[in-house]
Amino acid sequence: MFSIFEILRDNWLLLLVGQYPNGPLGGIVATLILSVLGIVLAFPLSVLLALARLSPWKLLRVPATVLVYIVRGVPLLMVILWVYFLVPILIGRDVSGFTTMLCTLVIYEGAYLSEVVRAGIQSLPKGQSEAARALGHSHLGTMFYVILPQALYNMLPSMLSQFISTIKETTLGYVINVQELTFAANQINNQLLTKPFQVFFILAMTYYVVCFSLTRLALWLERRIALKRLGTAVRQDPGASDLPPAVATHP
Amino acid sequence: MNPPSPLQDDPMILFNNINKWYGDYQALTDVCAEVKKGEVVVVCGPSGSGKSTLIRTVNRLEEIKSGQLLFDGHDIHAPMSSVALNRLRSRIGFVFQSFNLFPHLSVMDNIMLSPMRVLGVKKAQAREKAGQLLERVGLSGKAGAFPAQLSGGQQQRVAIARALAMEPPAMLFDEPTSALDPEMVGEVLSVMRGLASDGMTMMCVTHEMNFAREVADRVWFMDAGRILEKAEPETFFRHPQHPRAQRFLSDLRAH
Repeated sequence: MFSIFEILRDNWLLLLVGQYPNGPLGGIVATLILSVLGIVLAFPLSVLLALARLSPWKLLRVPATVLVYIVRGVPLLMVILWVYFLVPILIGRDVSGFTTMLCTLVIYEGAYLSEVVRAGIQSLPKGQSEAARALGHSHLGTMFYVILPQALYNMLPSMLSQFISTIKETTLGYVINVQELTFAANQINNQLLTKPFQVFFILAMTYYVVCFSLTRLALWLERRIALKRLGTAVRQDPGASDLPPAVATHP
Repeated sequence: MNPPSPLQDDPMILFNNINKWYGDYQALTDVCAEVKKGEVVVVCGPSGSGKSTLIRTVNRLEEIKSGQLLFDGHDIHAPMSSVALNRLRSRIGFVFQSFNLFPHLSVMDNIMLSPMRVLGVKKAQAREKAGQLLERVGLSGKAGAFPAQLSGGQQQRVAIARALAMEPPAMLFDEPTSALDPEMVGEVLSVMRGLASDGMTMMCVTHEMNFAREVADRVWFMDAGRILEKAEPETFFRHPQHPRAQRFLSDLRAH
C-alpha cells in the first residue's frame, strides 16, 4: 500500500508534465491540453455539422449525414490508425503523434457532439422557431439568435460529459506514442517492473479525480446559468443559491 | 417591394379560393373572404374547424394547395425567394396561443431582437420603441424580467408588444387567450381592445364571444374547413343564418 505513495513521491513530475522540459510535454498536462483543444475545436465543427444535417439543402445534409454515420460506425482506434498511417503518405511528411491524435479527436468528437447538438435543437418546442420565422428571421437567423442559444444551454451537461469521455479517449493516443498520462504511467511501470497494480491504480485514480471534478463543475455551471435565467426572483431570496438546481423547472 | 397605393377599400388580407390538405384530409375548402384595412375580424367555430389553419396560412406557417392569398397586395403563396418571404413575414404581426416568447432573452431583448436583426433598426432606437410598447401593454416595470418570471397574461402582452415592434400593418391573433387562466384573459383582451380602437387591422381566432360582440366589425363562422357565415356581430349573435352556427351558439349558451 505504501508503495503507492512512494511511486507518487518519486514520479509525480513525470505524471504531471512527462519529460518536460528535457523532452516533450507529457503526463496529465498533455492529456488535458489534448482534450481541451480537442473539444474546443470539435465544438464549432459539431455545430456546423448539426446545422448541415438539419439544413433544408440536400447538398449540405447528405455529406454531413454520411460523415456522422461513418464516424459512429467505426471504433476510435481504427480512425487513429488510419490517420496515423495515411496522412503522412498523403501529405508527404511526418506528422507528430500529438497532431494526429488531436485531428482524430476533433473529427470523432465533432461527429458525436453534432448528434448532441442536433438533439438539442430538435428538442426545443416548435413554437420557438415558428415565432422567429413569423417575425421575419431567416432560417440561419432563427438558429443563431433563438434556437442555438437555448439548445446549447440545454446541452451543457451532455457536452461536458462528452468532454469527459474525450479525456478518457486520449488514452488511446498511447498506441501511437502520444506522450500523455497513460504513456507516462507505462514508463513508470517499465522502470519499476514489479508494481503494475500500484502504478495503474494511480493512473485510474488520476483519471477518476479529473473526471469527477469536471462532473461537479458541470453541475455548478448548470445551476449558475439557471439562477441567472431566473434573475431577480432569485436575487430577492439570498438562501436560494443553496437550493437544488432549478434546471428541472426550467425549459 | 413597394406596397401599392393604399386605397381604403383595398382588402388588407384577401383569401381567394383557398384549399389546404393534410394528406387525405381537407383542412380548408374554397375559402373566400377578405379583411378590410382597419377592420377587426373575429373567426370563431368549433375546434377542428380550420380556424387556426386559416390564420396560419396568412404568414405561410402553413402552405396551401391552391388559391391565392393577398396580404396588403402581396401574393403570399406565390413562388418566391426565402428572403422575400421573410421580408413579407416581418410585416405580418402574429400572436400565438402559447406566447412563444424567447426564454433566454429578457422582456426588453425579446422585443428588440427582431427590429434590430431583421429590420436593421439601431439599438438605441429599438430600445426606445420597446419601452413605449411595454408602456402600451402596461408592463413598463418588467423590461428586465425573463419570460419565466411572468404570468401567462403578462407573457402574452409581451408577445403582442414584440409583434407590434415590427410595426405591422395588420395583426393576427391565433387563440391568444386560450392558454390563459381565466383571471388573466381580461388583461390581454383589453390590450387587444386598445389596438382595435387605435385602428389596427386585426384578424383574431378566439372563443371569447363577448370580445367578438364588442370589438369585431365582422364575425366569420367556420366549420369543417369552410367559412359558413360572415356577418356583423350583432346579426351573427342574434340571428345566425346557418343551422351549424345556430347550434354552435346555442351550445355555447348552454353552459
